[in-house]
Parts: sequence; structure tokens; C-alpha cells
Amino acid sequence: MSLPRASYDPRRVFLISCPSIPFYRHRRTIGVYLSGALFAIANWVFLDAAIYSAHAQPPPDAPYDTVPVHVTFLDWLPGIISMIGLLVVNLIDKDRLTGEGAFGGSGDSRAVWRARVILFLGFAMMAGGLAGSVCVLVLKYIIQEYPEQYNFYGIAAVVQNVSLMLSAVVLWLAQNASEDDEYNYQLTI
Amino acid sequence: MAIGGIKTVILLSFILAAGFLLVILSCALWSNWLPLLVALTFVLAPLPNAVFAHCAPDALSAEYESSGAIDLGHFLTAVTIVTGFALPGVLAHSEVIRPEACVMSVVGGVLVYGTIIAYSSVFKQETEEF
Repeated sequence: MSLPRASYDPRRVFLISCPSIPFYRHRRTIGVYLSGALFAIANWVFLDAAIYSAHAQPPPDAPYDTVPVHVTFLDWLPGIISMIGLLVVNLIDKDRLTGEGAFGGSGDSRAVWRARVILFLGFAMMAGGLAGSVCVLVLKYIIQEYPEQYNFYGIAAVVQNVSLMLSAVVLWLAQNASEDDEYNYQLTI
Repeated sequence: MAIGGIKTVILLSFILAAGFLLVILSCALWSNWLPLLVALTFVLAPLPNAVFAHCAPDALSAEYESSGAIDLGHFLTAVTIVTGFALPGVLAHSEVIRPEACVMSVVGGVLVYGTIIAYSSVFKQETEEF
């Protein structure tokens, strides 16, 4: 009563392995670089809108403010929340989530539970930042029927939050990928 | 080997001088010294990797993964390089500096950064050989 010996690793989920991408060994480094670039792009897209708005002042002899809307602290808020969420998500030790590894090796289920709650809070803050930026775009810019060009301020904030989320996801994937690295994998077998 | 090294150093110093010339011209031609920040950014760009390179695990140690400090260095490097490209673009978009100054400062900053990277890689190879 013995099963035939499997020719593939029985721990694998898929029969056909993922084709190895080039620079396979450097994917962690590339992922971290990509994540940093996305982070910087996110913040510069929004800072572009903020600086552009700060320099779009009416001439001093204008009878009234000819610029209908400016970037205020309200526009900064979703990005700040997203950035705090990104920090929280990436500060968690990945070993603690599974209860394995050097630190959480005792299988302390309460510690794992706490780590997961903190992780959930971090992702919730990033999602909240994204939702907030969409809210600001709709409520402050699209509904108010300003000239078309001012929607750019709100769209920049949405782009910022999407890029921050992408940055966090890329960083997460890049740092977790090395856990089941092919080299380590063969060592464990 | 020595003559080749000297030639490389002279070539790199010329490129570095050309880079700084472009950056300073982009500031001085329009008497607006904000593009100098771009040169500062590109000069500081190799710094995080240089600082955190000492945290790399040894070849003999049991750890095969790179540590978090290395990742932080790579992250900061990428942020700084993108800042070097984005800062003049943003300044030119809000008409603080001229578009010509933007292009000149970016090209100059890339030349400076390329010089630093090329110089450090050449120097590294020599130390590994001996």
C-alpha cells in the first residue's frame, strides 16, 4: 500500500514551474530598486502638483483671486496616511507572520496574531489613503466644476497613492521571494 | 596597467568637469541657482550604497540572504536617483527654472553620477585583483 514515487516535488502546487526570469539571482535587488523608484515617483508626482499650485498665484493687481482652487493640507493627508501604512507594513518581520524562523520559532500564536493585526492595520491605512485621495478628487475637484486643468491636482494625489501601494507590494514581493530561493530550496532538500 | 589606469582617471576627470560645467552653466546662464540642487542630489546618490555595503553578509557566513540594511541602501539609492531626474522636471513645470536649464542640469548630473560609479567600479576591480 504505497503510492508510486512522485517524479516531482510533492510540495509543489503547480506541475509546470514558473519560467525563470532573467536576472533571477538579482531579483531581490532589482525589486528593491524598483520599489524605491516607485516611491520617489509617487511623491514627486504629488509634489509637482503642490509646487505648481503654489506658483499659480494671481497677479498682485487682480481684483479677486483668479485661481479658484489650491492644493491644501487636505490634499496632503491621503498621501501621508499611505506613507505611514507603507512604513508599518514593511517594518513587520516576515518571520513573525508565519510563526517560523529565528524569532517566532516558539510558535507563539498570540505573537503571530498581533503581527497579523498590525499588518492588517498597515494595509488598511494604505487602502484608506487611496480611497481618501479618490474622495478628494471627486469632492474637491470634479463636483465643483472648476476648469478642466485643476482636476490635475486631484489626479496627481490618486497617482501618488496608487504608486505608493505598488511600491509596498513590490518591496514585499522582493523581500519574500528570497525565502523560497532556489538555492536555499536545494539546500533544504 | 598603470598607464591604462592613469588614462582612465584622466578621462573620468574630464567627464566629471564637463558634468559640473553643464550644471553650473545651467545655473549661471539664467542666474537662477536652484539647478545646483540636482548636482548635489547626484553626488549624494552613491552614498547610501557605500554606507550600507559594510552591512553585507560575508561570503563565509551562513546567511545567504541580504540583510535589511542592504535593502534600505538600495531603496534610498533609487529614491535619490529618481529625485535627481524629477526635481528639475518639477521646477521646470512650475516655471521656476527654464526647460533648457532643466535638460542641462539633468545631463550634467548624470555625467557626475556616471563618473562616480565608473570610478568606484574601476577602483574595486583593482583592489580585488591584488
